[in-house]
Amino acid sequence: MSVAANSILYLDGVTVSFDGFRALNSLSLVVEPGEMRAIIGPNGAGKTTMMDVITGKTRPDEGDVRFDGKIDLTNLDEAEIAELGIGRKFQKPTVFEHQTVEENLSLALAGTRGVLESFLWFASAESNERTDELLETIRLTSVRKALASSLSHGQKQWLEIGMLLAQDPKVLLVDEPVAGMTDSETEQTAKLLREIAKDHSVVVVEHDMAFVRDLDVKVTVLAEGSVLAEGSLDVVSVNEKVIESYLGR
Amino acid sequence: MCTVAQLTDIMKLARSLVLVLLCLLAGLTASAASDFPQALSGLAEKSFKKRLGAINAVAVSGHERAQTVLEALAQRRLFVANPGKRLVIKTEAGGYQMAVTGEPAGEIAKPALKRVKTNNRLRKVIRNALGTLTLRSPDPARRLAAAQTIFASRDASALPILEVALAAETDIQVRTVMERARAASTLMGSAGEADKLEAISTIRQMGNQDAIALLSAFGDRAKGAEKAAASQAIAEIERTLALWSGAQNVIYGLSLGSVLLLAAIGLAITFGVMGVINMAHGEMVMLGAYVTFAVQEVLRTSFPGLFDWSLLFAIPLAFLVSGCVGVALERGVIRFLYGRPLETLLATWGVSLILQQAVRTIFGPNNREVGNPSWMSGSFELGQLALTWNRLYIILFALLIFAGLYAAMRWTSFGLQMRSVVQNRQMAGAMGIRTKWIDALTFGLGSGIAGIAGVAISQIDNVSPNLGQSYIIDSFMVVVFGGVGNLWGTLVGAMTLGVANKFLEPYAGAVLAKIFVLVFIILFIQKRPRGLFALKGRGIEA
Amino acid sequence: MIVRLLSRSLDHWSYGFLAVLVLVSIILPALHLLVPPGSYFHVSGYAIGLMGKYLCFALLALSVDLIWGFCGILSLGHGAFFALGGYAMGMYLMRQIGSRGVYGHPELPDFMVFLNWQELPWFWLGFDSFAYAAVMIVAVPGALAFVFGWFAFRSRVTGVYLSIITQALTYALMLAFFRNDMGFGGNNGLTDFKDILGFSLQAPGTRAALFSASALALGLGFVVCRLITRSRAGKVLEAIRDAESRVRFLGYRVERYKLAVFVISACLAGIAGALYVPQVGIINPGEFSPANSIEIVIAVAVGGRGTLFGPIVGAVLVNFAKTWFTGALPELWLFALGGLFIAVTLFLPRGIVGLVQSYWPRLPAAGVANRAAKPSTEGSTR
Repeated sequence: MSVAANSILYLDGVTVSFDGFRALNSLSLVVEPGEMRAIIGPNGAGKTTMMDVITGKTRPDEGDVRFDGKIDLTNLDEAEIAELGIGRKFQKPTVFEHQTVEENLSLALAGTRGVLESFLWFASAESNERTDELLETIRLTSVRKALASSLSHGQKQWLEIGMLLAQDPKVLLVDEPVAGMTDSETEQTAKLLREIAKDHSVVVVEHDMAFVRDLDVKVTVLAEGSVLAEGSLDVVSVNEKVIESYLGR
Repeated sequence: MCTVAQLTDIMKLARSLVLVLLCLLAGLTASAASDFPQALSGLAEKSFKKRLGAINAVAVSGHERAQTVLEALAQRRLFVANPGKRLVIKTEAGGYQMAVTGEPAGEIAKPALKRVKTNNRLRKVIRNALGTLTLRSPDPARRLAAAQTIFASRDASALPILEVALAAETDIQVRTVMERARAASTLMGSAGEADKLEAISTIRQMGNQDAIALLSAFGDRAKGAEKAAASQAIAEIERTLALWSGAQNVIYGLSLGSVLLLAAIGLAITFGVMGVINMAHGEMVMLGAYVTFAVQEVLRTSFPGLFDWSLLFAIPLAFLVSGCVGVALERGVIRFLYGRPLETLLATWGVSLILQQAVRTIFGPNNREVGNPSWMSGSFELGQLALTWNRLYIILFALLIFAGLYAAMRWTSFGLQMRSVVQNRQMAGAMGIRTKWIDALTFGLGSGIAGIAGVAISQIDNVSPNLGQSYIIDSFMVVVFGGVGNLWGTLVGAMTLGVANKFLEPYAGAVLAKIFVLVFIILFIQKRPRGLFALKGRGIEA
Repeated sequence: MIVRLLSRSLDHWSYGFLAVLVLVSIILPALHLLVPPGSYFHVSGYAIGLMGKYLCFALLALSVDLIWGFCGILSLGHGAFFALGGYAMGMYLMRQIGSRGVYGHPELPDFMVFLNWQELPWFWLGFDSFAYAAVMIVAVPGALAFVFGWFAFRSRVTGVYLSIITQALTYALMLAFFRNDMGFGGNNGLTDFKDILGFSLQAPGTRAALFSASALALGLGFVVCRLITRSRAGKVLEAIRDAESRVRFLGYRVERYKLAVFVISACLAGIAGALYVPQVGIINPGEFSPANSIEIVIAVAVGGRGTLFGPIVGAVLVNFAKTWFTGALPELWLFALGGLFIAVTLFLPRGIVGLVQSYWPRLPAAGVANRAAKPSTEGSTR
């Protein structure tokens, strides 16, 4: 259990099936505190389902999912898990299109989740300062008053990452952050994530090999719902099984 | 001490004895059919006893006029005309006829007439005597009716007559009823225990409410083994009856379920498969019903001989009319609203208002008379169940439509294209499927089926402009309950709701049963938001 | 605190609107009561009653907009809350009749005497007191909304599914209230009211007061909605409308927000119903009919959902059109209404307010609210 105890995320033997199709097949994965981990794998390997399980959207049929070494996540719902400190970015950028960039971030700010509490909430110097800081980090200060719907695709991705940061989570789950980004945006995103990884644990799911190489972190390869290989990108990319099932010859 | 109950028992006994004696007496004279005029004259006697005897003598004579005379006596239309003590009958028309021959009796002055008096006891005797007469009537239907009358009256005094009639009876059906009547009379009479036990078992085989009523009336005064046998028989009958009423509920429920299925199955396509909320679906059903009405009007006025075939014409026409309206609706409104289900809901509600008002303007606001073809009307009995043919046909029809639709979705190329468009529009388009056409046709199919449902519903429900409104919520409930996107779910959902409704009805009444079912579904979708036959998986969450 | 909340919520347009409402609630009754009937400026009792009715519908529309426009919950059963509020008021008015009923029973309303009932059912107790009735007007719709919403939102019933079950809810209630043994007058409902708080309902003064009360209730409802929608909680509601699961992953308990706003909305609808009943003089199960609920939804759409002015404008216009059509061209009303449903959804998705804004962008509601007008897709995913 010491592995579990020292981890920030711990998945053991997690299985999920949908109508007979095994989306996750006895998946086991350990993420250490402060670690950044890249997850790659072909379509249908179970990457998104794994995130669903961790964030409480999907309940596993069997297996153990623990956070921070002890907390069992399988009985909690999305909001409870989010409050524990697990933030998630969706594959498709999901921000509140009809609100400004600022408002988006302000809604994500940690604290104030109750109904009455948020009814009576007023922006404070502190919260404004924190918003400014976040805007700086995600490089959106210049468009702070703009509606989220007017942002470019890449900017929406950053805004969503910013909202994650505003939650002040311990772990960030980031699903395909650079899908559909231009090269320079991709590069900036990698920089942003590395910066974030300095004081957060981050799990990144990505297809883009150049981006993963850019991140330069430990890589886990998923296939058919379980772990195929683990190690640095250089190690896994010469792994026979990985080449066969994913990278191709 | 003599209690009232004992007293009445004694009196009943005495009366039976007298009656039996009289019957025997009557039997002795029965051979003399030619003695009818003489027997008749006894009716004019002053003595009560003599008149009693005369009634029986008349009955037993078997004379063709016997019944007329006795009926007249019972209805206080028999008079003695003086002078000459002629018996005359006052006819309905107000004239008089001779009791013996039935010939007109001519004008008789009022003061010369004296009514032949009856009292309760005599009237009872007359009833029985009439029963005897009809028990021996040459017409089996009349014999049957007579036996049934005796069964209902449970008259112990009828026993000897029944025995005689039974000995001569050849018709099986009449015989059964006579045996039952005899059993009833036996139970109410003074027969021995063995006879009574046998009678109980005869009655038990009837297995209906009449039997229970008779047995419990008997059980109230019986003692010992007889009482035990009676209550055991009642319990048995009640068990069987409960089974029958369960079966009845199931069948009525299936019949209601088929109506729901018919109304909902088109919706299962438009809502379930395409994801389009069509609040005008009920109006498609209504259009089908009005097509039936129109077809029948044309046939009635122009080709009355074809009336029995009206539904055969109505079904394809209703499909076409509703289907075309459906395609027009899809092309004209719904296609602009794909991906905006709430707006679709509102727009189609608007369409439903327009269709309702259009029909109201054309056909008027009142119910329209739609007839059943002769082969659909009437009913038949199955054990203790009374079933109407139209219910049965609707069950069969609904299942047929279901099977046809299922087969079409599954095995035709249109069905294949439809399913492929639903699963992956872009890919289907890339494969050369004209997705827009498929959308329109799918919608047309769903609406057309609603039209066919309207033909069926016109046979059992009022055809009015509001017809659709009364089915729309139920139909949605069925689809949601069964599981969206699953035809089997719709079938099971409709039948379950139909049967549940019918089982609740006896306890709660029709309206409350409906409310219960609605509340149940509201709670149910909270538990299983995707219905009974839910698809599971990541894709549908999206 | 309250001052701070109010100053945050109300801009000068809101103050303007409230001022107009106050003026209307003073001037119209004054024109009715003080100006002699022959005068050009006289407002008839009929007109006062009619406009009072419109104001009640406007409040109902506002309550629908609060959940639909701002939280994406399309209720097709809001008429149920309106009717429940109306019945609560109706029960008070029935008890006020006292022995002046046809049967002259001191306690039982006529229909109970007619049904041979011997005593008041327990749920009629207390309705002789206005205070109790006033509490019930809010509490009964609120409680129903709480129970219903608690189940529905917890199980994440959303989009059209929710719409359909809300419709089933009001349909079930309609069937139930049609039953005589429910104890609400069955088919005929509650009617033949005599007076309210001791004032005769026929008196011009009472009618004028009811009109003013409706206007004030609408104003209060507007302020309540503004307080909610301009708060952070309001932002959360909008966020739920636009991307429900994102809100959940941010750690908000979506079901609680939805439940809270649903209950508040139901209470507003109940108040609207309670003011409506004394002005029309009757409440019957027809008020529960699904068609009523959906009509008010279209009024919201006509005015422009997601704006608070929109539903008020929409409700008044649609009901004015209804009055005019049913008087002048009764056969055409349903055609017109049906056409309105289609036209608004196809050509005017942002409603009248949205249309005006596109020509005059500085219009008030241009706050956050109106950006909502673009149809959202989140509610649609099942």
